Amino acid sequence: MLEAPFDPVKLAIPFFILAILLEIGLGRLRLARAEYEARDTLTSLAMGLLRGVPALLTAGLVFAATVWAWEHRIFTVPFTAWWGWVAIFFLDDLIYYVFHRLSHERRFWWAAHVNHHSSQHYNLSTALRQTWTGSLVGTWLLWLPLAFLGFSPAQILIQQGISLVYQFWIHTEAVGRMPAWFEAVFNTPSHHRVHHARNPRYLDRNYAGILIIWDKMFGTFQAEMDAERPRYGLIRNLGSFNILTVAFHEWIAIGRDLASARSLREVVGYLFGPPGWSPDGSRDTSESLRARWAARQSAAQTPAE
Amino acid sequence: MAPDSRAPEEPAIPITAFLSQLAVSGVAVLLIVALAAAARLSRSTPPLNEAAARALLADDYPDAPIDRVWLAGDGDAALARSGARALYLFRLGDAWVARDLAWTEAAAAPVRDGRLHLSLSGVSPRLARPALAGWAPETM
Repeated sequence: MLEAPFDPVKLAIPFFILAILLEIGLGRLRLARAEYEARDTLTSLAMGLLRGVPALLTAGLVFAATVWAWEHRIFTVPFTAWWGWVAIFFLDDLIYYVFHRLSHERRFWWAAHVNHHSSQHYNLSTALRQTWTGSLVGTWLLWLPLAFLGFSPAQILIQQGISLVYQFWIHTEAVGRMPAWFEAVFNTPSHHRVHHARNPRYLDRNYAGILIIWDKMFGTFQAEMDAERPRYGLIRNLGSFNILTVAFHEWIAIGRDLASARSLREVVGYLFGPPGWSPDGSRDTSESLRARWAARQSAAQTPAE
Repeated sequence: MAPDSRAPEEPAIPITAFLSQLAVSGVAVLLIVALAAAARLSRSTPPLNEAAARALLADDYPDAPIDRVWLAGDGDAALARSGARALYLFRLGDAWVARDLAWTEAAAAPVRDGRLHLSLSGVSPRLARPALAGWAPETM
């Protein structure tokens, strides 16, 4: 099957709007924690609204590549087979983990993803602060193996949509913690608050899409600590609500760094090193920030001689 | 969450329908933003005092001991010296943003009409113009 009989994301748009209105209403009535700043909200929603425009540039290529892979598939997974949906649920979620980790740990892909983390707020509108350049950096290739395996383009599209819709509701401070069994298995508002935090303890943690089990398996899980409230945003926050700045600032920074590069090593480092990489190590990376934080923690716990 | 980097999109997109959908969505966005503004759910960010500026800068620069802080008269910005670095803090909406630069650059920055003209690193903003009270870098 090539064309999906429905698109979960399109179906969910009314839910997105109602949920944001509900969050604002609950916040206004002080029944739940919700912080909104009008310009920040406008930036987030405008990013989400216009994300489809740049995606048009690559839509044909991505679709054609997926169809080509499916036409050369190893097996055939029937669209109506229940086991096929179970399998693609886990496989898509594992691929999402890899995609998301790559998008944080290597600058080329971080440049496309950073806008999603650029708000200092964490509310349902933040979920819609979507990338404009994500389709240009090739991460869609990570999903091609699913088509080679025999999952149809329609089934892949639907599962990706389900994952996206799931991830919307976890962008909120209105929900504290879910029941323990749910927190143990699924990505939740609490787990994802950690992911959006810039506290050193929380940096580069909780990459999960739907299932948090991948972070627990691969050593990137961090529980939200009651004693350390997440501070949202970037290591160096943006000083603008301009959506063009939000969408392209890291690409501009990469361009400047490449213009100053003096060797192939520096070019590769600036492009594919961790965000913050610099030839002399003078800039902060997540790793260096965590190391210094750990050293401070250790020093604070060591009794004075 | 950045799903449009991976979605095998449908190949044919009717432009008229797409633009109509975009326009309707734009109206919905403006209504939501208006509602969010009317609900007054922004954080309380009172004008900076020295203690607040130090605490906020400590979040971004925890290893930087601060020698001295200058506050903008309106409380919307602060500049601090931390050894060879200058740390600049300014308001963005209901949040704060920090930048650093060499102290020598900050100390040499021109003052025009009572405002310091600071060139900042990073993409945005490139220039800050705080009106700092008692700014006298030569005394440091």
